[in-house]
Amino acid sequence: MKVTLAMKPAAKGFIPIEAESIVPKNFLSGTDLLVWRGNRELRLDEVFSVSVEGEADRAEGVEVVLSGETFRLKRVGEYMDGGKITVLGDIGMHCGNFMTAGTIEIHGNADGWLGREMAGGAIVCRGDVADYCASGYRGGRKGMKGGTVEVFGRAGDFLAENLADGTVIVHGDAGDMPGAEMRGGTLIVHGDCSRPAANMKGGSCYVYGTAREMIPTFKKIGPVQHDGRTLIQFAGDLANRGKGNLFVKNYEYLD
Amino acid sequence: MIVKDAVCPFCGCLCDDIEVEVEGDRVVAVTNACELGTTKFMGEKRLKNPIQRVGDEWKDITYDEAIRYAADMLLSAERPLLYGWSGTHGEAQCVGVHMAELIHGVIDNTSSVCHGPSILAIQEVGHPGCTLGVVKNRADLVIYWGSNPIDAHPRHLSRYTRYAEGFFLDNAFRDRKVIVVDVRKTETANIADEFVQVRPGGDYAILSALRAIVQGKTETIPRTVAGVTREQLIRVANLCKSAKFGAVYFGLGLTMTPGKYKNIRNAIELVSELNRHTKFTISAMRGHYNVYGSNEVNTWMTGYPFGIDFSRGIAFYNPGETTAVDILARKECDAALIVGSDPAAHFPRRCLEHLAEIPIVQLDPYPNATTAFCNVQIPVAVTGIDAEGTAYRMDGVPIRTRRVLWSDYLSDEEVLSRMYALMQEAQQP
Repeated sequence: MKVTLAMKPAAKGFIPIEAESIVPKNFLSGTDLLVWRGNRELRLDEVFSVSVEGEADRAEGVEVVLSGETFRLKRVGEYMDGGKITVLGDIGMHCGNFMTAGTIEIHGNADGWLGREMAGGAIVCRGDVADYCASGYRGGRKGMKGGTVEVFGRAGDFLAENLADGTVIVHGDAGDMPGAEMRGGTLIVHGDCSRPAANMKGGSCYVYGTAREMIPTFKKIGPVQHDGRTLIQFAGDLANRGKGNLFVKNYEYLD
Repeated sequence: MIVKDAVCPFCGCLCDDIEVEVEGDRVVAVTNACELGTTKFMGEKRLKNPIQRVGDEWKDITYDEAIRYAADMLLSAERPLLYGWSGTHGEAQCVGVHMAELIHGVIDNTSSVCHGPSILAIQEVGHPGCTLGVVKNRADLVIYWGSNPIDAHPRHLSRYTRYAEGFFLDNAFRDRKVIVVDVRKTETANIADEFVQVRPGGDYAILSALRAIVQGKTETIPRTVAGVTREQLIRVANLCKSAKFGAVYFGLGLTMTPGKYKNIRNAIELVSELNRHTKFTISAMRGHYNVYGSNEVNTWMTGYPFGIDFSRGIAFYNPGETTAVDILARKECDAALIVGSDPAAHFPRRCLEHLAEIPIVQLDPYPNATTAFCNVQIPVAVTGIDAEGTAYRMDGVPIRTRRVLWSDYLSDEEVLSRMYALMQEAQQP
């Protein structure tokens, strides 16, 4: 079953729309769903032109395609447990919150908290992601707990904060403090970033570019071979009695 | 008439030993207050009555008309923002929270642009803090990190630290050491025993290095960290470990520089580490006299300290999404009520561009930068001068501010309560 949701032009500018009901499973029982614009509850067809092709009896057989000005659409795919969501443009905050299975593919950019606290499944973003991609909630001890997030563009600050398990791959540069407080899992940044793996406790963080403003409390172990690259291995964060591994191609301190 | 023991409604110190001399409806002299407090007590030209923008001109309107305008504006909005709250008393803040819940709006206070990151860090790792009195009587080491009390909290030094007597210190001035950490040599740095000059953006690295040194892992630290030599870091760590009671006071130099709440988290974790060796506490140098109060009121009423989004009927909190700067920069709100703050003077340009596009009502005694963006401004009595109410000092101690003179102005609480009553009426089926 393919559900196409084309966003109608908005009368009231930029007020965000919270659409946690847009999850493949929900479309098995029709398109009679509700979303919120600010403090008003609206029917799905008041916001989108909805069309459905084919049939399905399981979430795995449902693909939801979103088009139009979806950059202010929040919480799409929250608690998703199967099926596929394809976003043709940009997507708003909290896409794929808590997802456990299935696939989300974003052709444009994603706003903050993409894949927050996700536990399984896969998210692919062809554009850039904003801050807190694959991270946790405020004050939480564990961020992402499983699954895969792959970003082909750049990432903002605090990428994979509190990462507990799963894999996060960013093909471009990342911002400040990727992998802060990480305690498990794998974070790979193909480009440059600043202050990676600050206060890490466990897990592995790879920076294939330059790590700027390196945290001074990582102990240098020496060069290692990884995936055809020579990287320098560090252990840390010593300030946190951490037992994580940080691998960087180049590094510079703020001295 | 002389009013003794008045409470100064300027900064988070909430000095409660002020003497104010009043003649009629005017303050003529202020004793004990710092220059900032004195200026606030002496007052300036206040707005006489509510004003409404009509075309390019201001029209005088009545309180009833202004309150009605505000209630209608907020009721018809899909995502109203209620911002400010640090420059008013707790009772008015309570009405604000009730109002946000009733109209399903977003309520945020000025801590989202000052010590909000401190609260985020406290939510992650807790707060080993204490009251100012404990520091005054016990601390033999005080660290001012990214804060400059001589300019911003002038009496903090004389009432609680550098120049204060301490009950458990024989000669407080001699026994108490002061360390200042800052990116430039401030006035406060001039009176410090040790000044640590950090390269801008380097606080996090310094804090990590200090944590490792306190643990005895000195060998991995590079020769210099963010412009500070390893020798100085070791000296500072030793000063901290050998103190009987240490207190860290941090300011916006730590909360609003790269890393934000991670800086504070690192500072708190340094203090936790030091508590394995001696007694150490850490507290924020809060700015507005009742910004701490707005966090308290919000927390006991909603569970969250700032940036609370009621648009779905329940409280949702996510700084970076539900905070005023982010909402305005993303053009996400369609009306705003501003109480006791001046966002137009402090917010980024992108936020002001949106403020210029939406209807705004402001409650403030004085014309300010935000007045230029308002549709309606309602003058109110000033808490601590012609209105009274509860405020929270920077260490979380509630102090009731006193009225020193009587005027015809309504207080924030009265104006907001009348607004709230109109909204309740309109919402009844």
